[in-house]
Amino acid sequence: MSEDRFDVIIVGAGPAGSTAAYILAGAGKEVLLIERGDEPGAKNMTGGRLYGHSLEKIIPGFAQEAPLERRIVKETVSFLTSDTSVSFDLQSELLGSGGKESYSVLRAEFDCWLAKKAEKAGAILVTGIRVDDLFMEEGRVKGVIAGEDIMEAGVVILADGVNSLLAQKIGMKQELKPHQAAVGAKEIIELPGEVIEDRFNLHEGEGAARLFVGDCTKGRIGGGFLYTNKKSISLGLVFTLSDLQSWEKTVPEMVEDFKHHPAVSPLIKGGRTLEYSAHLVPEAGYSMIPKLYGDGVVVVGDAAGFVINIGYMVRGMDLAIASGEAAAKAIISAHDVYTTQALSRYRKLLEESFVIRDLKQYSKFPAFLNNKRIFNEYPQLIAELMTDFFSVDGSPVPPMMKRILKPVKKVGLMKVASDVWKGVRAL
Amino acid sequence: MKKIVACYKWVADEADIRIDEKSRALNFDRVKYKISEYDRNAIEVGNSLKDKYSCEFVAVTCGAQVESSLKDVLSRGPTNVYYINDEILADADGGVTAKVLAGIIKKIGAVDLVICGEGSGDEYGQQVGPRLAALLGYASCTFVTKLDLTDEGLMAERKLEDGIEVVQVQGPAVVTVLPDINTPPIPTLKQILGAKKKPTTKLSLKDIGLSRDACAPKLKNIGVLGTVMERKGICMNIDGLSIQEAAEKLAKRLSADGILG
Repeated sequence: MSEDRFDVIIVGAGPAGSTAAYILAGAGKEVLLIERGDEPGAKNMTGGRLYGHSLEKIIPGFAQEAPLERRIVKETVSFLTSDTSVSFDLQSELLGSGGKESYSVLRAEFDCWLAKKAEKAGAILVTGIRVDDLFMEEGRVKGVIAGEDIMEAGVVILADGVNSLLAQKIGMKQELKPHQAAVGAKEIIELPGEVIEDRFNLHEGEGAARLFVGDCTKGRIGGGFLYTNKKSISLGLVFTLSDLQSWEKTVPEMVEDFKHHPAVSPLIKGGRTLEYSAHLVPEAGYSMIPKLYGDGVVVVGDAAGFVINIGYMVRGMDLAIASGEAAAKAIISAHDVYTTQALSRYRKLLEESFVIRDLKQYSKFPAFLNNKRIFNEYPQLIAELMTDFFSVDGSPVPPMMKRILKPVKKVGLMKVASDVWKGVRAL
Repeated sequence: MKKIVACYKWVADEADIRIDEKSRALNFDRVKYKISEYDRNAIEVGNSLKDKYSCEFVAVTCGAQVESSLKDVLSRGPTNVYYINDEILADADGGVTAKVLAGIIKKIGAVDLVICGEGSGDEYGQQVGPRLAALLGYASCTFVTKLDLTDEGLMAERKLEDGIEVVQVQGPAVVTVLPDINTPPIPTLKQILGAKKKPTTKLSLKDIGLSRDACAPKLKNIGVLGTVMERKGICMNIDGLSIQEAAEKLAKRLSADGILG
């Protein structure tokens, strides 16, 4: 290696960047992994859940050594109105086994661990450095610029997150539009492990994941989430930025209201907030995927918009890891000639993997979710229906069909039928 | 060519220390370590003198877990770092630290100028600099906000309570600097990468002829308790009250508690 040149420079030590660094360094490449935060993970935020399959393929048995919080064995979706919560609850041993394992994670620890794995494999990790620009020559990416320093590389991997300014600067990506991103805000609330296990009905080491729809976003497109960690709870909201201007409440106020909802407050009672964070989340799925590769450059992870949001499930990290892997493999097979042509293999590998397949599969879903009935009328409908079922006050009981149709009619029978149809099709 | 040494302490980052609300005990569980802020000023003084006069400039440290500090300090200018890493130094007081640092500096030999921060970021005892001067037989010069080398020694401005004192020092000296002296830059990408290639020099207490008994601290910290702000955790606009009404409710509440005069 000459003084100022690496085979590969990776911007961003999140799951996508560190995975690529790990594989490339393992294949004998000189890799420089640059992270803006003081530590990997310092700038990153997640609701808190990692689907393990893609990392398991790269680091078999990673769950034994990685700093994971809890293995998720319980899924709950709750529809909220201001005073009522209706939940669907799934607890199954099958959820957390046989390659379907998912885990709650805290990024400050998980990202550090993964970056250290890359470092041990031979990558050079530098933290606390912001890459300001890409170094270009004759229309191709030749390295990065950080402050006054130019560092050259055969190929640069942009793993710099949802609002990848570097990809925008070289025209691979448009500036984010409000409908393409959501804002996620979250608190980490400290509670003793036994209290968490009691409250969520879990064995030691097991975790619960909960999603909330309805009142928590005040009817706006989005939802609430809760993940149990070892000794804390990650609780937060994700909602669309598209109607941000019309909001009456600030994001922290919305989180505060969510914490006080009657279905949520008993879960976090007595807990102490350790940290509050907020971040952008890519939302538009398949339709927002930018140009993924160019002369001397590839884009991975959130920077490439690789997030699947289908309401009851949000996935980002497993796609990020798989995209980092695909980028690394494409680079290895390019044999030091990083032309657009050679790097097109990255796209091909992604198409063959679950990344593009799943994004395509759910490509209609962002549009389906862009329907305010899901966040207003339907939680209300379900709450009314269920409250009615379980209410006994001595008044005459109407026939079952009438009881069901009464709240449905409020929304409009055809609208409900059409939304259900669209939803099923989108999935 | 003059030889300059900057000393630094590897301290807990105070931002990561948590206070247990009940016992007020300090919790160091998630603490990361850093080069004491004041010592960063000292290192930057050495670095700029190195650039200005082409001096030899190295760093010196000691402590129980200082190995993780080496890359960081080397990215800030020194060409080498001499250190002693020993568990026995976990509880070192200013006296012990000065003894160990003096031993290392004597080992380096023919040092013209030693620069320290005025005090450490964790205890701020302001002991090490002057003690070091005594042990080395050097002149001691504290509260320095401006420093330049002369042929015979150095010129310094000292910030005192009632004014600025300008002093001239003949021969070797230990200088302790105040934060006003400079703004330490954040290391750049190339400086960080360069640091990974610089040498480090590991020494032991034996190398500097210090017995383990001599490293027993005379000053012992028997307890530190944090200050805790008592919060009542009352949320004024929880019932959907408007900001106006909530503010009025808050004002009433505060005056009832006798907080508003």
